[in-house]
Amino acid sequence: MCGITGYVGGEDCHQIIHEGLKNLEYRGYDSAGIAINGPTLSVEKQQGEVSNLDLTTTTNGACGIGHTRWSTHGEPTDENAHPHTDCTNTIAVVHNGIIENYDDLKTDLLDSHVFESETDTEVVPHLLEEALHTQPSLLAAMQAVTHDLDGSYAIAATHVDEDGIVVARQDSPLIIGHGEDDHYLGSDVTAFADHTRDVTYLEDGDIAHLTQDAVHIYNDGERVSRPVETIEWDADAVEKAGYDHYMLKEIHGQPRALRQALSGRVDQLSGRVDLELSLDSETLKDVQKVEVVACGTSYHAGVYAKELLETHTDLDVSVTHASEYAFTTQNPGETLVLAITQSGETADTLSALREATGAGAHSIAITNTLGSTVTREVDDTVFIRAGPEIGVAATKTFVSQVATTVLLTTHLGRVRGTLDHQTTDELLGSLRDLPGAIQQVLDEEATFRDLAREHAESEAFFYIGRRYGYPVALESALKLKEISYDHAEGFPAGELKHGPLALVTPDTPVLAILTEGAASERTLNNVKEVDSRGAPTIGLTTNPDHARFLDHAIDLPECGILEPLVANVALQLFAYHVANEKDRAIDKPRNLAKSVTVE
Amino acid sequence: MGVELSPVMKAVVLAAGEGRRLWPLTENRPKPMLPVANRPLLEHVVDALVDAGVDEIVLVVGYKRERIQNHFVDHDWDVDLTYVVQDKQLGTGHALLQAEPLIGGEFIAINGDRIVESSLISRVWEEHQKTQEPVMAVANSETPSRYGVVDVEDGVITGIRERPPQELVTSSLINAGVYALDPSIFSVIRETESRGEQRLTDALMNMDLPVRPVQFSGLWLDVSFPWDLIAINGSVLEYTGAEHDSSVVIDGSAVVSETTSFGAHSVVQANATVLRGTTLGENVSVGPNVVLENSVVLSDVTIKSSATVKDCIIGANTEIGPGTVIEGGSAAVALDDAVYRDVKFGGLIGDNTTLGGNTTLRPGTILGNHVTLESGATADGHVDSNTTIK
Repeated sequence: MCGITGYVGGEDCHQIIHEGLKNLEYRGYDSAGIAINGPTLSVEKQQGEVSNLDLTTTTNGACGIGHTRWSTHGEPTDENAHPHTDCTNTIAVVHNGIIENYDDLKTDLLDSHVFESETDTEVVPHLLEEALHTQPSLLAAMQAVTHDLDGSYAIAATHVDEDGIVVARQDSPLIIGHGEDDHYLGSDVTAFADHTRDVTYLEDGDIAHLTQDAVHIYNDGERVSRPVETIEWDADAVEKAGYDHYMLKEIHGQPRALRQALSGRVDQLSGRVDLELSLDSETLKDVQKVEVVACGTSYHAGVYAKELLETHTDLDVSVTHASEYAFTTQNPGETLVLAITQSGETADTLSALREATGAGAHSIAITNTLGSTVTREVDDTVFIRAGPEIGVAATKTFVSQVATTVLLTTHLGRVRGTLDHQTTDELLGSLRDLPGAIQQVLDEEATFRDLAREHAESEAFFYIGRRYGYPVALESALKLKEISYDHAEGFPAGELKHGPLALVTPDTPVLAILTEGAASERTLNNVKEVDSRGAPTIGLTTNPDHARFLDHAIDLPECGILEPLVANVALQLFAYHVANEKDRAIDKPRNLAKSVTVE
Repeated sequence: MGVELSPVMKAVVLAAGEGRRLWPLTENRPKPMLPVANRPLLEHVVDALVDAGVDEIVLVVGYKRERIQNHFVDHDWDVDLTYVVQDKQLGTGHALLQAEPLIGGEFIAINGDRIVESSLISRVWEEHQKTQEPVMAVANSETPSRYGVVDVEDGVITGIRERPPQELVTSSLINAGVYALDPSIFSVIRETESRGEQRLTDALMNMDLPVRPVQFSGLWLDVSFPWDLIAINGSVLEYTGAEHDSSVVIDGSAVVSETTSFGAHSVVQANATVLRGTTLGENVSVGPNVVLENSVVLSDVTIKSSATVKDCIIGANTEIGPGTVIEGGSAAVALDDAVYRDVKFGGLIGDNTTLGGNTTLRPGTILGNHVTLESGATADGHVDSNTTIK
């Protein structure tokens, strides 16, 4: 899982590829490299962030490819950084994904080829070199070589004796940008959005040849045409706008992101929700079981969704980490699989989804990314409309995912006749109040900064909650561990006494979700348990009576069953400021990357 | 776009201040973010700069800067925006010093909370190009003692006094807050004796070169008091006409005047009447049978059925209960130890405030943030934040 850029044309190739890599750094940042083609092949690559890449000695040329890496096979070293080259130093290759049979391929090649890295990728340039003994062009060689590759890949290659770039896509995203007099390549549109917004999404099995004047796309040896789409994209949205980190900018962008998520989807008078689904009411009535598949933060949104759906519909709901998922249901036609993925490219989620749809289940995706792979593999997509999220730690997309599942729950509840008017009004009322409630939390940022300073040096942090408070406890703990590297865990509040209580000491603050929708009175008993062990207690509450049981009571604005989500925003700020106190690389935490396109 | 007068035209916008006379709205946002015709004052300033041909804008931000940064992040601005932070608000000169590392040549400096025509900016710049001397825009005012009063002799500014007492006002000319300067100003600011705050105007009077005035009689709007915001909002709407975001939903039976502006995702329900001079922010809900006139409504506000709201400012995320009456009209308002008589001011309601059903606001009332007015209650005068009125 990495980022790929490429450029063919008359402008400053160096500069364009380097900028593209910077924009893609959120996909991986443990090593970076670029190859410029023409008149010679010039490769510069090294371990470390894109900004460390020294391009002063590489020559400029008419086309090039770039790569920013998040290691899967082989440690982050200069040798393992992409691009990789063949023995003759005429072919350079960058790759995102995993070549699963690379070991076998490498064994076959070792007799006649010298390998310099431990990566799976390096087999590709050597295979291309072999193929070129019999094939007339790099394009033909790529078509031959991809037959032998198993796994997922987006590959870009360039040959010193040929014009342009040859690319191949299988299960990893690859997008072509059409400039006025040139062509761009990227793992996503952020790579080149400053230059063009006319794009072509490649599909699985596609192999394309990009030159300055043309793009020719082939699938299974046949020439195919793929549409050119114009995307709406605001390049300023990928800048920090005066904030120290993207994450803080994105935290503060949540009220607006939520208004966009809700816009035009709710008819306040009738209480109807319109998500423009193609799955009709009859189909949705026949569904008996919903299987939510997701990873990481999206999984936490899935846990929230399960609680919502089980409370407000008669559906049987499971939520599974996508990597642990197996489709075992007997009646696929009565099963709806709900895939939640911010990027729409999460390999684990796509794989789980395919297993279910392959068996005949209905499917809905909740994603933030137009044109992403998941949108092409489901019956319906509900976009969360949160806008680009660059910080690796998800913030606004979690809140928007949950808001979107409230809409979906309302729709399913109304269709199935399990949701009465009054409850519908309450749900939709909470949604409408959410942007304003979150704004109030953002206006109190100084409170959370002070709280973070006070507790930053603690040994560990425990988050507890019940019902809707439980996924928020999980998500808030994940946020802290992702960006501050502190030990943080979320538990169902009642589970504390069944084990984790042994970890609680006066140096382990316990943060409790004590809002509506979180069975706060019962959780308060768990707060008393940890209080008697001397742990500092921090409670997020809308009930002023709770303050006397807590070391710190954080008053939240009222927002019905979405109050735990408001608590989550407060805890995002807490996590941010703990990490900031420790001077962590908040937007690029170690070992993590945003869009996880490997299983 | 105006005529480009130099290869790169830079501007520094001073937007770090709070603006206390607009309390309680300025508890949660800086004064430059108060909306006029649904766009913050600061956005009007940025647009005027762009129209005058400015390529690069440095925004000096400080107090509640997140509100400014969030606003400018989501639009496509035809200009380079850079932020510098003034951590403590120690005066306009101090604010300008924060931009020094980004300024290599001559530049425009401008206040971020006043609406000016782009032609004023162009004229100030042209005068500077001609004279190579510091230039300051001056305007005529009926109430000069509210501003910096400027004395001019023989085409040179000889004195600037900030908010002098009425009896000491010797001129009707005031500082309009637009300057053309070069980097020599920075050392002069540093060397000028500061009395608690470093004022740009004090430094200007210490320059070796004469400061030239550019007098102006066009559009120049300043929001000194809450009622100014209502009046200016009305005048700008008259000028721009109706602007309704494409995501707005207006019920077919509602009556909506031509001079209104509705922000994204707002909803106007059945039989509601929205009359002239009214602005709705984002995600505002106007209930059935509501009558709304000459009012500025911020984002996430809910106005429930049959409420009447006139000549009023409603803060963000506030809820107006059914049947509430804010009758509007003339009032005497006490503010800053002075009483202002006969101002057209139905009231100002802070953020996150809740008015129950059938509540009443007497004209001129100012409610803080997080105030609760219980059903049937009446509010008058000045009500502190976090108060409950039964």
